[in-house]
Amino acid sequence: MSNLDKEAIHNLIKLSRIECSEEEQARLLKDLEKILVYIEQLQEVDTANVSPCNQVLEGACNVMREDEVRDIMPRELFLSNAPSQVGGMIRVPPVIKSN
Amino acid sequence: MHSLSAIEIRDKFLRGEISAVTIVETFLKRIEKYDHEVGAFLAVFNERAIQQAKKLDEKRKAGHKLGKLAGVPIAIKDNIHVKGELSTCASKFLTNYRAPFDATVTRLLEAEDAIIIGKTNLDEFAMGSSTENSALQKTRNPWNLKCTPGGSSGGSAAAVAARFCPLAFGSDTGGSVRLPASFCGIVGYKPTYGRVSRYGLVAFGSSLDQIGPFATTTADAALLMEVVGRHCEHDSTSLDAPQEDYLSSFNGDIKGMRIGVPWQFLEQLAEEPKQVFSAALEKLKSLGAEIVDVDLSILKYSIAVYYILATAEASTNLARFDGIRYGQRSARAKTLDEVYDFSKEEGYGPEVKRRILLGTYVLSAGYKDSYYKKAQQVRTLTIQQFKGIFQKCDLVALPTSPFTAFEIGAIKDPLQLYLEDIYTIAANLAGLPAVSIPEGFSRDGKPLGMQLIGPQKQDVRVLKAANAFEKVTDYHKALPELAK
Repeated sequence: MSNLDKEAIHNLIKLSRIECSEEEQARLLKDLEKILVYIEQLQEVDTANVSPCNQVLEGACNVMREDEVRDIMPRELFLSNAPSQVGGMIRVPPVIKSN
Repeated sequence: MHSLSAIEIRDKFLRGEISAVTIVETFLKRIEKYDHEVGAFLAVFNERAIQQAKKLDEKRKAGHKLGKLAGVPIAIKDNIHVKGELSTCASKFLTNYRAPFDATVTRLLEAEDAIIIGKTNLDEFAMGSSTENSALQKTRNPWNLKCTPGGSSGGSAAAVAARFCPLAFGSDTGGSVRLPASFCGIVGYKPTYGRVSRYGLVAFGSSLDQIGPFATTTADAALLMEVVGRHCEHDSTSLDAPQEDYLSSFNGDIKGMRIGVPWQFLEQLAEEPKQVFSAALEKLKSLGAEIVDVDLSILKYSIAVYYILATAEASTNLARFDGIRYGQRSARAKTLDEVYDFSKEEGYGPEVKRRILLGTYVLSAGYKDSYYKKAQQVRTLTIQQFKGIFQKCDLVALPTSPFTAFEIGAIKDPLQLYLEDIYTIAANLAGLPAVSIPEGFSRDGKPLGMQLIGPQKQDVRVLKAANAFEKVTDYHKALPELAK
């Protein structure tokens, strides 16, 4: 069922936003192919009329809370982990091209 | 003193026979002397631990009430937050990331006067079964320094086995507490899904992750569960159930308990681990437990299910590491896209990349039904099969691993390494509580672990049975050479 090839790997890399050398892509292709062959055994299980699991715990349900501001982390504390900051904000490369 | 249990150390402190500073210094000295060989710790909190110990000594002198873990040093896996300290997840991506808040478990431990002594090594983002995927350092098994401690919580397991501290916390997504506990000859416990709050644990597979304790005795593991096994409003998957009372049930009585063993699933098990496991079952029988053969044929698909679901969830969870708000940002990046692309390239190791790509693949258009949905259906069948068994049995017993600790570098094929978790993964898929306890040794002197698995929310039953087994065996008392 899987048809993993160089192009598919290239696409996955784009989707996951991970830059990868050609050499690494070739290695990943080999590894993933092997894993997918192993995973393929699931197809032999009869799952007709079996609902997919969406809660692990029996009787669990969604937990909601009021949408209110709580537990505020001080701005300085949060920014202390930012790789680049300026004037109390996170700095990123320009996204709008200037003419 | 270093070979005493946490409860024994606490009681000595409470009786005034030993100061907290002496306790902490004893363990810090051991770490200094031996951890260059073992490599369990990524950070040792020398000053912080001594300061805490001093305060505790004063608190005792002043006659104030002391907590359940008073004076006991504990190590924390480096994917669990301790405010102000690094939380690297053993990844280059987070080498400089300082936790801006305490994990709930950290807060609960310190509220009971435990002393956090350091942060331990792991497979990068907890992805692995040997701790070899750490981007920061190697960890060795205290029983045989050529071998891995297992993983992914290998640093925590090695720290307790080497008696660098009596207690530690790890996280278990597919066996990451139980497998290293088995390889290192100690107790490792994965609670019911949701029993322990994951607030402050860096997420990997959110429908599977659970924080769990390492200890040298079942009573110590139970004590930790009494401290951290409670509802937490910061974790929406936290179990809304009253706190359990573990230690008072530890009377050694498991007479009439029915323990299921899926013999057919264990056909492939090699002769030596099979013998050790069978001997352990005989011990349970001698305590009055009844061993019954059960059908858990669905377990043969556990690994396939796991590597679809865990990687799908990981690819979602790890998307947050974008090099913008925290973590490493690539110095080469000149555009916003390059910030993502290059930061992830430089920050992640090979196994993390492999899993993100696999997870992205199984969730991608055209494949989602045949992989992700199929896996969730087989997960339902797994939960159902366990449920059926638990109508007839109180517990299920399995070996923790088909093997003893293997040599560092011996398993290079990622798929081969995934198969290490064949016996542990099902408990995560079905949200079940499961313990690994020392059940014996191989001829070459490496520890083996037995797993006891219970129905959801029956954490007390699991640890009670493990304790009964421990009472009539002494495998947990054996020490590796460097801890004698």
